[in-house]
Amino acid sequence: MIQLAQVQKRFGARLAVDALDLHVPRGAVFGLLGHNGAGKSTAIGMLLGQVWPTAGDVKVCGHDVLRDRAKALAKVGAIFEAPVFHDYLSGRTNLEILSSYTAPTSPARIREVVAWVGLTGREGSKVRTYSHGMRARLALAQALLPGPDLLILDEPTNGLDPEGIHEMRETIRRLHAELGLTILLSSHLLSEVEQLCSRIAVMNQGKKVFDGTLAEARRAQSWVRLRTSDLGAAVAELRAAKLVVAERDDGAIALAEGAATSEVVRRLVELGFPVHEIATEKPTLEDFYLSLMRQETPDAGRRTADA
Amino acid sequence: MFLIQLKHELWKLFGKKRTFIGFGVFLLAQNVVVLMFRFSKASTGIRRALEGGGYPAADFITAETIATIVVIPIAYLLLPLYVALVGGDLVAKEAEDGTLRMILARPVSRLRLLSLKWLAGSLFALLLSVCLGVFGLAFASLWFPQGGLFATQIDGEGPRGGFSLFGASEGLWRYTLAHLLLATKAVSVMGLGFMFSCFNMKPAAATILALSVLFANGILMNIPWFADYKGWFITHHLNLWQWVFLQPAPTSRIIGSLCLLAGFNVTFFSIGAAAFQARDIKS
Repeated sequence: MIQLAQVQKRFGARLAVDALDLHVPRGAVFGLLGHNGAGKSTAIGMLLGQVWPTAGDVKVCGHDVLRDRAKALAKVGAIFEAPVFHDYLSGRTNLEILSSYTAPTSPARIREVVAWVGLTGREGSKVRTYSHGMRARLALAQALLPGPDLLILDEPTNGLDPEGIHEMRETIRRLHAELGLTILLSSHLLSEVEQLCSRIAVMNQGKKVFDGTLAEARRAQSWVRLRTSDLGAAVAELRAAKLVVAERDDGAIALAEGAATSEVVRRLVELGFPVHEIATEKPTLEDFYLSLMRQETPDAGRRTADA
Repeated sequence: MFLIQLKHELWKLFGKKRTFIGFGVFLLAQNVVVLMFRFSKASTGIRRALEGGGYPAADFITAETIATIVVIPIAYLLLPLYVALVGGDLVAKEAEDGTLRMILARPVSRLRLLSLKWLAGSLFALLLSVCLGVFGLAFASLWFPQGGLFATQIDGEGPRGGFSLFGASEGLWRYTLAHLLLATKAVSVMGLGFMFSCFNMKPAAATILALSVLFANGILMNIPWFADYKGWFITHHLNLWQWVFLQPAPTSRIIGSLCLLAGFNVTFFSIGAAAFQARDIKS
């Protein structure tokens, strides 16, 4: 559904997106992670033909966005952070206006979508009277009106209260389950991505530093909690034996690729260190994400693995 | 589909209260001026000019004459302000509010969107000009009789201090034609504001820039030593609506200026469209 190949975007001297490759298959719920300013919104802008790439190819629904934007976006709906409407017009009028830029939309279709997002009865009210949650639902309605195959959600829960966040999350699940939409979800909320997405890409300083499934992300770095009599000396020995690659202040160690906890225990016992406790920590996306962000960009680049 | 989208652009434009500021101020200003003419000695000067030339003043101190006198300062000052305000808002306000990003997530081309907005702005400018004429005549008719038209000739377009006189039917016809031509001024100034609005700037900046261009042109045009070059200034051609009140009306000059204004408008739109096409639309 989405294919970016070696896409670059430069704003003056600043490189906002650098050599970005991205492939979002049909039917996926794909998470685009990164902190503010990582390049996610710029990448989404390029997908929608709002931001011109400096280099590279951008394809949506099989069509080149630069050459054939109308076809590329014919079946695409998008929601941006803090959805904005013409406040002085009603919700229904806003929907009529926005949908007319895609294709003629019947009043019945508008009623259907309004009902789907739960705004029935309020669609005739001016948008200035809507709560933030209602605006989010209206944003969803406008995105659904063209009957999209692909939904692009750029920080859709920004500014919502916990109830609104929960509601939006459930709605995204419903969209995927009931309508079978392909969803690209851009967010810096790890829990949101963790609960919704099957596959993620992580961006840092305009570069993609990881691309894979959540399971791969969790496997990418696992930590082991170790308690022994002299942790510093034990870790030094384990490092020398190439069984450990990193350690944390709280006594957790990162095993080298292919190393097992049983090997670590055997080695420590051979060296005379008593092992009081050794346990594998359940890896979280947050741990993984933070480890990516801590790394230097060149190291991070090595983590990138195409699907 | 284009007409539906145009209808929606008009909904957006006329849904905003500030779109109606111009209409409201015209109503107020025209009523004040007409009442001042009616209840003061302001018409003495007209009477003196007419009687000095041997014309019956009563035939020409009419609703048409007063409405024409009222429209001149409004057309010079207020009309450009309101159309520049709307033109400067058309793109820049949507970009500032963020609604432009919502629209451009749709498969509508930027050129089509700009065409729709320019057309909506032009319809507003046309409506404002027509309302200016209709309101002026309607209010003047409440206090003055219908009849002939007395119109002073603008500097440089006739004998200094000269005036034209028209009978009732010709006066009404010239008054109507002048307002239709005034719409070309309104559309052109709106187009100037629209052009700046297409650049990455605040709506107020677009409006101020458009008015600055107009004022700068007006200042240059009115420097006596530049009189030979007045044809180079857009403000000269924007005044074509007043030439209708010359006797005889300089038809070829009016047509020439209309063509030049059409050229100016195409240029404004093209520059705006090129700038807008090249822009990155970001939140």
